[in-house]
Amino acid sequence: MGDFDFTFTDETVARLGREPGALIPILQALQERYGYLPQDALRRVCERTEIRPAAAEGVASFYDMFRREPVGESIVRVCRGTACHVSGAERVEEALRRELHIPEGGDTDPQRKYTVEPVACLGCCTLAPVVKIEGRTFGHASAESISEMIKSYEASRITADSQPSTEALDASGGAGERAAIHVGLGSCCMAKGSDRLFHALRHAVEQAGVEVEVKRVGCVGVCHRTPMVEVVAPGRTSVFYAGLAAENAEALVRRHFPGRGWLRRASRLWTDALDRLLQQPDGAVEALEQREPGMAAFLGRQVHIATEHFGEVDPLDLDEYLAHGGFDALRRVLGELQPEGVVAAVEKSGLRGRGGAGFPSGRKWRMVMEQPGPEKFVICNGDEGDPGAFMDRMLLESFPFRVIEGLAIAAVAAGANEGIFYIRHEYPLAVRRVRAALAQLEARGWLGEKLLGADFPLRLSVMEGAGAFVCGEETALIASLEGQRGMPRLRPPFPAVAGLHGRPTLINNVETLALVPWIFRNGAERFAAIGTERSKGTKVFALAGHVRRGGLIEVPMGTTLREIVEEIGGGAPEGRQFKAVQIGGPSGGCIPARLADTAVDYESLGSVGAIMGSGGLVVLDDTTCMVDMARYFLQFTQEQSCGKCTFCRIGTRRMLDILERLCAGKAARKELDELERLARQVGEGSLCGLGKTAPNPVLTTLRHFRAEYEAHLRGECPAGKCRALVSYRITSDCTGCTICAQRCPVAAIPFAPYRVHEINQELCTRCDTCRQVCPHHAIEVK
Amino acid sequence: MNEPTLTLDGAPVAFQPGQTLLEVARGAGIEIPTLCHLEACGPQTSCLVCLVKVNGKMRPSCATVAEAGTVVESETEEVHEARKTALELLFSDHVGDCLSPCQRLCPLQLDIPAMIRGIERGNLEVAGVLVREALPLPGILGRLCHHPCEQGCRRGAADGAADIRGLERFVAERDLQAGEPPLASCEPAKGKSVAIVGAGPAGLAGAFDLARKGYGVAVFDRHERAGGSLRRVEDSELPSWVLNAEIARLGRMGVEFLCNVEIGGERLGMVELRRDYDAVLLAVGAAGVAGAGELGVTVSGKVISSEARTARTSLEGVFAAGAAVKPVPQLLRAMVEGRGAAECIHRFLQGEPPERVRKPFSSVMGKLNAAEMGAFLKGAGAGERHTPCDACAGFNRQEATGEAARCLQCDCRSKGVCALQRYAQLYEVDAGRFRGTHRDFEQHAQPGGVLFEPGKCILCGICVRLAEQAAEPLGLTFVGRGFEVRVAAPFHEAIERGLQKVAAECVRACPTGALTFRSSFSLI
Repeated sequence: MGDFDFTFTDETVARLGREPGALIPILQALQERYGYLPQDALRRVCERTEIRPAAAEGVASFYDMFRREPVGESIVRVCRGTACHVSGAERVEEALRRELHIPEGGDTDPQRKYTVEPVACLGCCTLAPVVKIEGRTFGHASAESISEMIKSYEASRITADSQPSTEALDASGGAGERAAIHVGLGSCCMAKGSDRLFHALRHAVEQAGVEVEVKRVGCVGVCHRTPMVEVVAPGRTSVFYAGLAAENAEALVRRHFPGRGWLRRASRLWTDALDRLLQQPDGAVEALEQREPGMAAFLGRQVHIATEHFGEVDPLDLDEYLAHGGFDALRRVLGELQPEGVVAAVEKSGLRGRGGAGFPSGRKWRMVMEQPGPEKFVICNGDEGDPGAFMDRMLLESFPFRVIEGLAIAAVAAGANEGIFYIRHEYPLAVRRVRAALAQLEARGWLGEKLLGADFPLRLSVMEGAGAFVCGEETALIASLEGQRGMPRLRPPFPAVAGLHGRPTLINNVETLALVPWIFRNGAERFAAIGTERSKGTKVFALAGHVRRGGLIEVPMGTTLREIVEEIGGGAPEGRQFKAVQIGGPSGGCIPARLADTAVDYESLGSVGAIMGSGGLVVLDDTTCMVDMARYFLQFTQEQSCGKCTFCRIGTRRMLDILERLCAGKAARKELDELERLARQVGEGSLCGLGKTAPNPVLTTLRHFRAEYEAHLRGECPAGKCRALVSYRITSDCTGCTICAQRCPVAAIPFAPYRVHEINQELCTRCDTCRQVCPHHAIEVK
Repeated sequence: MNEPTLTLDGAPVAFQPGQTLLEVARGAGIEIPTLCHLEACGPQTSCLVCLVKVNGKMRPSCATVAEAGTVVESETEEVHEARKTALELLFSDHVGDCLSPCQRLCPLQLDIPAMIRGIERGNLEVAGVLVREALPLPGILGRLCHHPCEQGCRRGAADGAADIRGLERFVAERDLQAGEPPLASCEPAKGKSVAIVGAGPAGLAGAFDLARKGYGVAVFDRHERAGGSLRRVEDSELPSWVLNAEIARLGRMGVEFLCNVEIGGERLGMVELRRDYDAVLLAVGAAGVAGAGELGVTVSGKVISSEARTARTSLEGVFAAGAAVKPVPQLLRAMVEGRGAAECIHRFLQGEPPERVRKPFSSVMGKLNAAEMGAFLKGAGAGERHTPCDACAGFNRQEATGEAARCLQCDCRSKGVCALQRYAQLYEVDAGRFRGTHRDFEQHAQPGGVLFEPGKCILCGICVRLAEQAAEPLGLTFVGRGFEVRVAAPFHEAIERGLQKVAAECVRACPTGALTFRSSFSLI
């Protein structure tokens, strides 16, 4: 004490306010500034505000993003999402810790250069496993690629990427009939270098002196092929390029837009250069047309409502949004429809909440509308926490105006003059784009005292989550907005009656709101005509995991899982069997391939023990152990439980204990019955949705994959996944090349040139490195 | 206007609008267990022990407002199972013993740590009361008991168990040496009487318990003097004055001894006993089994046939105990059998199904690790076990006080008043249902006298809320998330610093022994 400079702390308090609700933003500012929350600063905040020390401590220790101890210079975030987990994230994390010399039990190396921080999900599931070092995302990480990744990161720190951000650009406006090159600039695309490609293309266009617009667009959906570039020219079929790098920019521009004079003649050379690239055997770069079978299958079944104009529009180009009918719906709502009419239309559309539970949106809207009182709130729930889900991130990044319009319509219906976007902080691009979009609307005078010129005040703001899955639960979300620990409370009273600050509050998920403008532009009947009897419209899914074509898809309700996995997704990777889909994340379940004809609607999914969930859909192949899947999800819910009620706090832990013993081959037979019994009781007894649905991954796997549990009782893991139950051996295919011996991190393989190597089972940690590096596939896992 | 009603366990119950289901049930005389509910705090909905089923869904009754027409289930097997699981989950993360191992292992359930505290604090009166109320023949047990308590003593793992039997003997003989040895308290006479055949350890223990319950007791023995096998113990191990004094004391409690009386034959047989007494206890020892057969009870092999759980023989109203029923290797076991039979007889005479008393519930924390042991040892007197300088006379007062100081006082300050323990007993909880790792046992003694034992905290949230309501400058909060959540004062401050105004209230409201005063060990 005494030496701490309080200038920043005091400024922060002055800027963000002294009331208890300012706590989380204040802590976020401190965290951002110092990399952790210095105790002195926390005490100072309590002295200078109405915030109680107990509240500060409770909140600071609740959310993932807050750290209490100083961290290393760079934070390495390792995604533990579902898709990453099934793609070997655990081994990536181990390798990272080894490479960076992180001591056991700690998270920072002795030199304080790196801090390794596991993250529930980074939402880049198609790039799994994902590692993010400070601002840079690395996809398809493997234990093998770690040292290169670190080198690459350190190199980029030295040269300090000086490229201008793609966010700073003004919207180019009214593309119309001009030729254009569309570059997908969602987080996933950028992780694969689309921002660099974007700038390279602009540079190339400038050099070539051609009239072509290089246009930033939102998520293209075809995430497994990022970065995606689409060349659009009037009168010609557009061509997609997948997997291009910045170095290819010039070739692309010269080929498609040869310009005039001698340049045109030279274009031939560039075409050849590009063709050579496209013909490379590794197939990293591909030219695709929409008619190409893979693309056709991927896009064929999709119906784009929430993702309308995907890959075409600039997310932050307000005029372009208007040109596509943007804000027509809101204008109609403000002009001709009374709140009653708005609610009636939502009811008629049959829209149900897309956050997971599927509560009829119209009924929710009506409840809030009918509440008396001048002060009401609307909230957009963008706390997408399901590992393996990134729909909401993509919608917010790609269509911020659409979601804003949806929330504004909800506000009009509810009679609320204040609305809040609650967006998880792990989605910085989404936060930036929503803020930027709000700023544009305010600048035009369309938000604030008047909404779109109508006599309806509406203030909209953004609150960043601080890292807690449970805050997706509406009462926990409200607690968080009020500056408290995100602990749910018993409903009723529902937020519709007593929500934020005790006022009636309408909370809808991002996707739900993104569907709303379409309903008003095209009619509730048209929406209701899509889908099934009781599940109307479309559903957006983040398709990832063991599937050939992962991405962001939107399909009509009633589409079967098989259609999604096999047609859209192209099935399991080469040589592997489609085994199950995990739908609904930690609240959902695993549906076996033999039930793949189950339709995607609320009731059908419920009947097989799963839930619709928010839209995470992770395909699992035969390398996945279903007991390990259950263990993985219980580990997640157990860490994410707010810790309030007994069933969730301790019950999920005890379920996890049993699952851990199963995975270690140490469970007794009777524990399987205990697991099932406890799972049911936790489901019935828990206070909120998190605990009530936490047993689903266990119950569905017990129901559909009981034989695998039985095998674990016998000490066998049929998928060869549970480390304690498998061993690595070298077969006679070994040529004695010594690569495995050189790479084994624990020296468990003695160096034996030109002879068949052997693995010392005592030393082997089953890190999988040898299997990955062996050029002769001579490592056997049993 | 008609009051609204709902259905509670099949019966219509009227309620006031705004009442919670917990209140409605209490009004209807149904006790729903709850740990986190405190009127002044409002519902915490954390313990979830108060579950009821409302229209088919489990809900915490403390926070569910009654609605007309709903169907509520409380006392059903399913609801009880759910509550029991909630309790068992809490116990799986509850580190601490309710009862010390020594008390748990004493089949006569002497509150050993409390007795020892009496000795240590010089309050021998209290120690005496504890001993004579709990034990049938304390002076004899003080010399002959095989003291399983000492095998359980936690200090045994460090530098030798406390000499519990020696201390008990010290207290018991001090009583006996008084001019008129004080008696155990007796309930008012119930107007019923019991004949006990056999004045050995089992019979005497049964006589003691039945006399205390207010029954007239007559003990028949064919020998000249009461005592049975105790009469055959060497005088050096059990001086006859001790035995005589204990039997005399039983006599002063109203137990009638009829010695030199052979039961059987024409003068006094089973018919007469059953005619003159409301119940009969056969405690005839192994040697008396043959004679018992002649009395009409079924004998199989070398023992009287009786139901283990109820002590009933083949004759209505006739019970059997001790070596006549099964071999009893120790004096203590014989007394426990006598006590068990006495309880069965008592219930039988009260028209209840005969059954032995269930053992009191206790949470068990298992073996202590080095750190835990170290912390306990720090709070107790140092040194190894004391030996009385005069082995025949046992401990003198100074030695007894010194040995008593060695006790680790490892029982819980809240035992007997703890809500968690009470519900565990009521719901027949299996505290070991969920095995798994648990945290270390810790005691945080605070300068102001508060003792915080974090392992016992069930995160009910009452203290957090009370501190908030009282606008404590620091207050308490939940720290962390998930299974790791703990209650603590902010900024790593001591817990007492967070409770500058409401420490006493929080101690009073704590449903377990997590927050106590160091001094709150009650003597009785």
